[in-house]
Amino acid sequence: MIGMERIVTVVPEQGLHARPASAFVRTAGEFDAEITVGPADANREPARGNSMLAVTGLGVEGGDKVRITAQGPDAAEALDALEAVLQKPADQLEEDE
Amino acid sequence: MHSKPYCRNLPTSSKKMSKRRLAGVGVTPRADVGTAYWYDRSPEVSQDSGDYDPAEQRERFESAQEQVNDELAAERERVAARIGEEEAAVFDAHQQFLTDPEIEAPIEAAIEDGNSAEQAVQAGFAEGIEQFEAMEGMMAERADDLRDIRDRLLRVLTGADDTADIPSGSIVLAQRLTPSDTVSFDLDDVAGIATERGGRSSHAAIIARSIGLPAVVGLGEGLADLAGERVAVDGNEGVLIVDPDEQTIEAIESAKQEPVRHEQVSTTDGRPIEVAANVTTPETAEHAAEQGADGIGLFRSELLFFDRKAPPDEAEQYEQYRAVREQFDADERVIVRTLDIGGDKPIEYLDLDPEENGFLGVRGIRLSLDEHRDLFETQLRAILRATAGGNDDASLAMMFPMVTTVEELDEAISLVEDVAAQLDDEGVEYAVPELGVMVETPAAVEMAAELAARVSFLSIGTNDLTGYTMATQRDIDSVADLHDPLQPAVLRAIDRTVKRGHDGDAWVGMCGEMAGEPELTELLVGLGLDELSASAVTVPEIKARISEIDSEQARELADRVLAAEQRKEVEEILGRS
Repeated sequence: MIGMERIVTVVPEQGLHARPASAFVRTAGEFDAEITVGPADANREPARGNSMLAVTGLGVEGGDKVRITAQGPDAAEALDALEAVLQKPADQLEEDE
Repeated sequence: MHSKPYCRNLPTSSKKMSKRRLAGVGVTPRADVGTAYWYDRSPEVSQDSGDYDPAEQRERFESAQEQVNDELAAERERVAARIGEEEAAVFDAHQQFLTDPEIEAPIEAAIEDGNSAEQAVQAGFAEGIEQFEAMEGMMAERADDLRDIRDRLLRVLTGADDTADIPSGSIVLAQRLTPSDTVSFDLDDVAGIATERGGRSSHAAIIARSIGLPAVVGLGEGLADLAGERVAVDGNEGVLIVDPDEQTIEAIESAKQEPVRHEQVSTTDGRPIEVAANVTTPETAEHAAEQGADGIGLFRSELLFFDRKAPPDEAEQYEQYRAVREQFDADERVIVRTLDIGGDKPIEYLDLDPEENGFLGVRGIRLSLDEHRDLFETQLRAILRATAGGNDDASLAMMFPMVTTVEELDEAISLVEDVAAQLDDEGVEYAVPELGVMVETPAAVEMAAELAARVSFLSIGTNDLTGYTMATQRDIDSVADLHDPLQPAVLRAIDRTVKRGHDGDAWVGMCGEMAGEPELTELLVGLGLDELSASAVTVPEIKARISEIDSEQARELADRVLAAEQRKEVEEILGRS
């Protein structure tokens, strides 16, 4: 089992809420790897990446750093995809916000 | 002349007993009267502790989940078509909550323990709802989303009736309205909505605003008792009036929406008056166009700068200005007001000082020419770029807020020229928009002719002009009587501004709240204003008024009003008893 992690700055200004959270959870669900996400600088229990409830419950805001972990065969691809989601301004996620 | 009483807030026109007023938060600047309908779709769940068969209950849960998922997908399409993609996006999140592992796990566990699927659903959502409720602001309102999904599942499981049969013309009262509620009945059929809970960003508020439905939220408990009573919802004032009297009803009926006119209107003797709208986003500009506005008289660009961690860059601003332009046609005009911050408009990343940047400090153009010149230059670049091209769209214009001296205006204009030269050097496509000045201070009134000579238009901001003329603030109750544009000093300042503006060869508009008072339209036409810009929902009524006004008679009315020495006299002349 491959375990990997990455620290990413959240670009969309609304942080991990609403549309960006929705896109993150959807993307996390597309991979076999088990995903967690949490604030990079806090010793808090990270949230399951495939749970909208848990991800929005983190209260991560735009500009915050998050630690994403992935465990599974496609961990590297999952991290790349999730990083891309968090680096996209909200208005580039599908329709205009 | 209209003999209807002039009244700013509908119900204050009468102080009779018998009616009851409940205070909440107004969501749309409209009002209506109807019979109260208590709307409650929360399904009953039997709390018996029977020993349910887990396999059977699991199957019931899964099939309910599937059915709700289909419902959500269908409703997403309906909302996207009816209201807009932005409001529809909430259903994406709902579908994700529906299959959320953090919610499914406790449901699964409860079923395993021998609970019914209904009981398990109730238990499974409880923690998430609590979690959101404990968070602040917007997130607290997302608890509504979870309740919505829970109740959908419960309705499927209990076989509760899914359609609400609401008599047409009802005022819908509810504890709160969820996204599924607002698509379960025909909003065109209801006269208004009033809820016990929820704030300005609650789902009910968003939907009501997007379709211009009279709405008041956050009224507090006890609405269920009002079922069957005659009630009035007044979104202007944020009140629900129980058993309204004749005067209140009459005032509301007369203020109801007029048919939309898309063509420009003129007085009976042929003087054209432009009726534009005040907006904050491209979406509200679209709504304004639907209401027949002849353009945008005030695009409050500072709203782009609020509620975020860093200012919007040139590209983002460019997109926004273009998007607003696109809502209107080539013969129309969209006026962007440059950054107006300071005063009562704080922005977290700018670190403004309440006193230094307060009403009498560095705000508006002062801030743009000084500490935040960088922001101003970026904004000017975006506006000049957005002015170029787009020949089928409205033309762009730009006006500066809080100008008090000729030097400020000259400096702003030379900065525009610098930015133009810069863009020219870079080979970037741009055009210099029509320029204007907001008249909001006695200083600008005194210098109006000189300011007007340098630009193509003046626009009177009545709230600030009233405040600076009367030395009042609108949120201080004890000076509310003084803070009134019908004070003779303010009316005379408006009159001077119009005359001096015309002397300086500029057209003169008004974009303050006063422009949106249909009862004052005749007076404003008489004062010689060329353009009135108001909240989009009042545009049809203002247009209707203008087309009934004779400008000679209006001028006579204005002359009599200007001769008045006291506000009381002004009110008498305007027929307000």
